[in-house]
Amino acid sequence: MLEGWPPPIIDPAGPYAGPISTLTWALFAMAALVLVVVIAAMWVALFGKAQQKRRLGGTAVIWIGGIAFPVLVLTILLYFGLTLTRSLSYSIGGDEMRVRITGEMWWWRVAYLDDRRRPVIHDANELHIPVGKPVVLELESADVIHSFWVPRLSGKLDMIPGRLNMKVIQANEPGVFGGQCAEFCGGPHALMGFIVVAHPPEQFEKLMQARLSPRGATGARPAVAGAELFQSAGCAACHRIAGTNANGLAGPDLTHVGTRRTLGAGILPNNRGTMMGWIANSQAIKPGNRMPPYTMLSGEELTELAVYLEAQR
Amino acid sequence: MTSETGFDPELYKRFPTREERPDSEVEELDRIWEAPRGWAFLTVVNNNYIGVFYIGAAFLFFLLAGVLALLIRTQLALPLNGILSQEIYNQVFTMHGTVMMFLFAVPMMEALGILLLPQMLAARDLPFPRLSAYAFWAYFTGGLFFFASIFFALAPNSGWFMYPPLSSKIYSPGINADLWLLGIGFIEIAAIAGAIELIVGVLKTRAPGMTLARMPIFAWALLVFAGMILIAFPAIILCTLLLELERALNWPFFDAMRGGDPMLWQHLFWFFGHPDVYIIFLPAAGLISMMVAALSRTELVGYHLIVLAILATAFISFGVWSHHMFTTGMPRLSIGFFSAASMAVSIPAGIQLFAWIATFAAGKPRYNTPTLFLIGALITFVIGGLTGVMLALVPFNWQVHDTHFIVAHFHYVLIGGAVFPMFAAFYYWMGMTSRRPLSERLGKWVFWLMFTGMQITFLPMHLTGLMGMPRRVWTYLPHTDWMATNMISTVGAFVLAAGVLLFLIDLARNFRFTVRHDAGNTYGGGTLEWLRAGSYSTRSIPVVRSRQPLWDDPDLRDDVDKGRYFLPFSATGNRETIITSPVRAEPQYLQILPGPSVWPMLSAIFTAGFFLLLTIQAYWPAVFSGVLVLPCLIRWLWDTDRPVASDHADVGGGIRLPTYSTGPGSHSWWAVVSLLVVIFMIWLMTVFSWFFLYGVHTYFWAEMGEPLWLIPILGGYGAAAGLVLLGRHLLARKDSTLWSPPTQFLLAAGALMFAFAADFIGWRSAGIDPEASSQAALVMTFLAQQGQLVAVSVIMALYVAVRNARGLITRPRNVTFDVVALFLLYTAGQGAASAALTRLFPGGF
Amino acid sequence: MGKWGLLLGGLIVWAVDFFALYAIASILPGTSFVARALAIVVTLAALAADAWLIRFAWKAAGSAGDEVDGWIARTGLAGAALSFVSVLWQGFPAILA
Repeated sequence: MLEGWPPPIIDPAGPYAGPISTLTWALFAMAALVLVVVIAAMWVALFGKAQQKRRLGGTAVIWIGGIAFPVLVLTILLYFGLTLTRSLSYSIGGDEMRVRITGEMWWWRVAYLDDRRRPVIHDANELHIPVGKPVVLELESADVIHSFWVPRLSGKLDMIPGRLNMKVIQANEPGVFGGQCAEFCGGPHALMGFIVVAHPPEQFEKLMQARLSPRGATGARPAVAGAELFQSAGCAACHRIAGTNANGLAGPDLTHVGTRRTLGAGILPNNRGTMMGWIANSQAIKPGNRMPPYTMLSGEELTELAVYLEAQR
Repeated sequence: MTSETGFDPELYKRFPTREERPDSEVEELDRIWEAPRGWAFLTVVNNNYIGVFYIGAAFLFFLLAGVLALLIRTQLALPLNGILSQEIYNQVFTMHGTVMMFLFAVPMMEALGILLLPQMLAARDLPFPRLSAYAFWAYFTGGLFFFASIFFALAPNSGWFMYPPLSSKIYSPGINADLWLLGIGFIEIAAIAGAIELIVGVLKTRAPGMTLARMPIFAWALLVFAGMILIAFPAIILCTLLLELERALNWPFFDAMRGGDPMLWQHLFWFFGHPDVYIIFLPAAGLISMMVAALSRTELVGYHLIVLAILATAFISFGVWSHHMFTTGMPRLSIGFFSAASMAVSIPAGIQLFAWIATFAAGKPRYNTPTLFLIGALITFVIGGLTGVMLALVPFNWQVHDTHFIVAHFHYVLIGGAVFPMFAAFYYWMGMTSRRPLSERLGKWVFWLMFTGMQITFLPMHLTGLMGMPRRVWTYLPHTDWMATNMISTVGAFVLAAGVLLFLIDLARNFRFTVRHDAGNTYGGGTLEWLRAGSYSTRSIPVVRSRQPLWDDPDLRDDVDKGRYFLPFSATGNRETIITSPVRAEPQYLQILPGPSVWPMLSAIFTAGFFLLLTIQAYWPAVFSGVLVLPCLIRWLWDTDRPVASDHADVGGGIRLPTYSTGPGSHSWWAVVSLLVVIFMIWLMTVFSWFFLYGVHTYFWAEMGEPLWLIPILGGYGAAAGLVLLGRHLLARKDSTLWSPPTQFLLAAGALMFAFAADFIGWRSAGIDPEASSQAALVMTFLAQQGQLVAVSVIMALYVAVRNARGLITRPRNVTFDVVALFLLYTAGQGAASAALTRLFPGGF
Repeated sequence: MGKWGLLLGGLIVWAVDFFALYAIASILPGTSFVARALAIVVTLAALAADAWLIRFAWKAAGSAGDEVDGWIARTGLAGAALSFVSVLWQGFPAILA
């Protein structure tokens, strides 16, 4: 999730955010300049000497300050704004990596697509990309309008029911970049975070290969107990774990949940304690989210579940 | 000298007249214009009272929404704060925005207009005093009921922009959203009623000689403001109607699965929403222009450029709505056009800003409270304007859209552009309506607290936004760096609130409402509202020879007071005002104004009851309340449009004016045309929706209508129009007895019903199912709109028939008759156009 | 009506230009050559209309009979000039977007 300092808008990490950062500085410079001019003019108008005031007190000032000056500044700005908008639009070639991201109340469904646009890897609330390559995102919504925003990589784009919006992002350095839903989507909209993780290309290839390969049996004894509990407690009704009987599609796919850095859509670090807490009563952490509390589970059972989920990598 | 109406401007030279006028004339004016006492005081309709009620109500909502703002700021002071739960926070921020925009800002500007406009124009009252009473009561009762929902945790919670599908039935099953849709839709009716009043007021009731070039800037601003309401508000009336239909009847306008589109809402909403910002700003800018000139004790520099700026803002503001939608994935070319228009709209703002600076420089401003508020307003507004220009740049907008940067931006614009000017206006004009002016000493404290509080709250908020904090979030996480700036903002909000509290203390100590014994011209303004006035405004109506008549003619005040100008008495024994021509303000006729009446208030309360009972799903009481509106309205109208005995009257200086007028150019004609503009805009927005949804989901559309049905439909509407014109023609011929003209109207109403029935049956026989597709739902919407128009037409035709039976339809000309004729003609036209569009497009060719 | 036409002429030209461009961009989404070409044609037509209005208002301001006529002509002149700039900007996206 977003952290704040340094302000991500002026701390870009890719070619679709960099020029906007430059633009931001230019705009602030423009605004500061105009503000100084206006305040100086007001100062003279109020406190200036009679002669200065007389020079300022006529229609000419309106033509110069109110019309000519803004027309000049705005013409320049409009030119740069339009050309920059154009240069930030990437025309999609077809052989880029594609990921479909679906906004849901209040998390993100992530599906990596193959070259025929079929989903091959399912994940949630976390996107892995290779450094230095453009990645095409197909943005959709499953319910209400959400907005996809990872400020260090790019501006935001809405996810609108019935529409498909395409966005291209690219990271020029490895790292973890916070994101956030930017369109009010009801309930816990405030806690709908996201992260993008950029890996060096070879590391990224390895990661994807590992996820594509068939899954073997996982974990030691407590994990096996957790696997049974996962079915019997009802988790599997909403969550999918590839290679098991868990096929629920309502909630986030948990096939690789053990590798995720965050829980609850970008709001908690992912470790055994937070996982247990989340399962026991996610409503206390993120009120209104769609997962019911499991307060009936004992501490031991929670541990078993958490250990099992940790092993899903 | 050229003339507009044939009135000879040489006649103005008769004023001021010489002879002494008897005091009995003043006593008669006092008697005629006296406000009712006791409980009957509530039936008062005069603008001096309604204006103050209206301002008071709007200010109350400002305070209430301000308290909500403090709750918001308290909740956000710390991460994971628990002052408000998530659900209550979502209600609180939705209500803060909604109440500030719909119940405070627009009504406040309208209220200031109702109070100040007749005074500035030296009119006796607004042209439709009962309509302003209706608007006030509708707004006040509706607003209170709407606000009360928050005490029951039933307040709307999908944001003041109410985007579907979040606000659709499936994701907002409670009545919260219905309260918003019906409550706001209803309050817009009050706004439109007020707007019609103000348009006719500015164009037709100016003092003789007050040409367009001499009008007070505030009157210009109100004219444009009201015109914008007529164009912009229909868009929100339509989209609230569509969403309510979707929620109540499952008609899929915004449901993508059935050919609807959530983006349709955004287009309609922002086509209203962005102009709405200027609807709020322009009257405030008008107030600034008036006060800057008066407080600097000099003529406004660049008067004609300011007028142009106001007009240009109005036009261009209708071309910027999509800059709220830059992140929705609109086509690049489209985005470019909106970006360019968003830049263009800042030029008029620049013109006004530098005109004000030049006026300050040309004059000698003093250190007093209103001047301070104006300077604070200018600085604040400039900052908001500059961030606004930044936001017009699409790539920057992509980053900061929906972050706290935006929150900071528009609070700068609205507080600088409307709230500070409003406080300046309170101090400046208080002397007009209170026995004592407000305190200068306290006032300066009020200003400094509010100004510093505002800057402390919203300046750091820009940074909060750049640091990535989104809008509309009830909390944030402790590991973020957003806490420091949020805490500062919260402290600032309380400083700002302290300023408002101090203002309330000042108000409690010094505000004593009066109409006649006011404190007067505390700051030495030069416009007509500073003439000595009672509830009938000035004793006589002056001839206006310049923009600042009080400065340019030191004797004016005395001459007006001694009755040496127009209408120093009641010419007919009724409440009356002089109607003048729109461009040169030449006297045309005397309008008889209605007096106090309980019926506008009752109509308003029952209208409110209808809408609000609907929201709580009390359907039968709602219908009952709605049915009660009709007799109240008819009873209210029944006394109006009564010609007086003599058809001409002396209005002073030996000038005789007619006491009755109808036809194009009369005040009633302007009002009906304004209303028809509203109805037409609602229809036009429906047509837009039709083409928009066709463009988005073409594959959902089918040839549904049978074009052959157009033969009876168009025939019926054509016959109705012909009958109306025939009736109008017969009325002018005094000797037509065989077919009384109202009979033609009844026949025309019958033809309208026939055509509408044919339209409806045609669709029914095609098996239309409005729940199945957005196309079918829109067809039904067109039909529903037409059904309403036809129903009103039938009632109107019956009303004319009854009045005729009572001998109230005068010949050869009659206002009621002309008004109904216009409405019937329009109904026929819209019906024919809807039927043709829905049957011929997209299929049928 | 003539007076109002003179006063608002430039702004009306702007409005016609803007909504024509909006219609073009909506009916022909994307940045096709046809859309750009149409937008340029509309812009040039609106600029010509504004230029004509500026000339007309200039003359009217010079020959105005009285204060009101002169004032309306001067205000209309400024409006047409403002419209000219705005229409020009409105045409930028046709080439640059």
